[in-house]
Amino acid sequence: MPPLLAEVAQLVVNGMMAGAILAVPAIGLTAIYAVLRFPNFALASHATIGAFAGYIANAKLGLPILPSVMVAFLAAGAVGVVTDEAVLKQFRPAGFITTAIASIALTIALENIVRFGFGNELRGYALPIERDWRFGSIRVGPQQVQNLAIAAVAMAALFCFLTFTRTGKAMRAVADNPMLASIKGINADMISRLVNFVGMGLAGLGGMLIGLDTTIDPLTGFRSILSVFAAAVVGGLGSIPGAVIGALTVGIGEELCLLFLSPDYRSAVGFVAILLVLTLRPRGILGQRADA
Amino acid sequence: MSLLCVEGLVVGYSAADEVLKGVDFSVDIGEIVGVIGPNGAGKSTLLKSIAGLLKPGRGSILMNGESIGGRAPRDISRMGVAYVPQEQNIFPTMSVRENLEMGGYIDPAGCGRKIELAFERFPILSKRRRVASRALSGGERQILAMAMALMVEPKVLLLDEPSAGLSPIAAEDLFDNIVAVNRAGVSIAMVEQNAREALTIAHRAYILVDGRNHRDGPAAMLAGDPDIRRIFLGA
Repeated sequence: MPPLLAEVAQLVVNGMMAGAILAVPAIGLTAIYAVLRFPNFALASHATIGAFAGYIANAKLGLPILPSVMVAFLAAGAVGVVTDEAVLKQFRPAGFITTAIASIALTIALENIVRFGFGNELRGYALPIERDWRFGSIRVGPQQVQNLAIAAVAMAALFCFLTFTRTGKAMRAVADNPMLASIKGINADMISRLVNFVGMGLAGLGGMLIGLDTTIDPLTGFRSILSVFAAAVVGGLGSIPGAVIGALTVGIGEELCLLFLSPDYRSAVGFVAILLVLTLRPRGILGQRADA
Repeated sequence: MSLLCVEGLVVGYSAADEVLKGVDFSVDIGEIVGVIGPNGAGKSTLLKSIAGLLKPGRGSILMNGESIGGRAPRDISRMGVAYVPQEQNIFPTMSVRENLEMGGYIDPAGCGRKIELAFERFPILSKRRRVASRALSGGERQILAMAMALMVEPKVLLLDEPSAGLSPIAAEDLFDNIVAVNRAGVSIAMVEQNAREALTIAHRAYILVDGRNHRDGPAAMLAGDPDIRRIFLGA
């Protein structure tokens, strides 16, 4: 394979891996948006909280990666429910812009609580050192593949929950038409707690997956929130399949930009993606207005 | 005693801005009761108040002799009153089957059987059971909305302008379905702009004007009244 083609193929593979991981918190963001109708930027700190909860389980308590990932999901999900009930819920009657701004304030507060407890230094999970697998000229790390598998299982589990369970369908019903859902007796408070748990749990899981690929610190979530937000917007805010497509687009885009630009400019891809989508197709790739 | 009985109902955003100013209304077992009147008369407000979406200021709403005024919509639904809004009455991204399932959310026992019953009763829905409901035509959407309401096996069905925006053929088909549902034992209260059709299928009707009862009586009698024919039926 010619060197340039090999490099492009490697970057596309890396981008797909990164995109699949990005899809997990992006689904969380879009699911919360679909039900509660505001972009919850506190997702950033919940990703960090998940990453640190997983770190405690893995590096401090000695649990393997898979149970640690569960801990990351559960811890971030539980914090998500509590912070929404204690803070963001009070802002919702004031409208989505006020609530979104409150979520930024909340994320700064939570991030600093993590900083207070753990300091600013970079931390890594207890991972075995393994050789990359080679497929021709393409190299793939075993940990990357495991991360991809965890992300895929999480997405498949969410799909099954939303498609086959009564509660999952009720969640989609509230996202589709909250007034009718209320008429049909669906408890909106229960659904909003559930979507916060699942959405922030996915953020925490995503935060740990990002950390498994690199390191973690109190800014882990903050650094990735732009890409997560870009993925959700590109796919169409409120659309879960859209979030997956958006995440893959942003993930591959961020990697391919390395062909031309220094890695410092990688996050510009998110900005450009949001700009392009809002200019050319504001509803995103799969987003649509509920017009019934 | 009537199945559903409303007396002296006052509903408004403030004391100075009342939409309903003391409305009396009733539905007996087995009846189709039409509610007609000009825009802004309070017809939809009446149904929304019965369904629990608006809180009554004064007056009473009784279902089987039990007060339901001011209760939550889900409690009112459990007591046998199902409301079909005029618009946004389906879950657009969900399939027809899922919409029916959500229609019976508060009473999941026997859900599969009730969905099959709905498909038997409305074959058009059966053919499109896996289709996202936003792909349905206007008439099919109204039939789905009605079928969703029937999933809780209500005693009274409240229909808010079911034929609004439909073609004459689709409206006629919908009215045939409404009559069939009524013959199956469900009492119906129906707000309609299409006064002629409403008076054709209703047993009794109320005419509201400016939030007050204007006239009421057997639908055939009202349809034959020269004043009503001139004002509401364009004759």
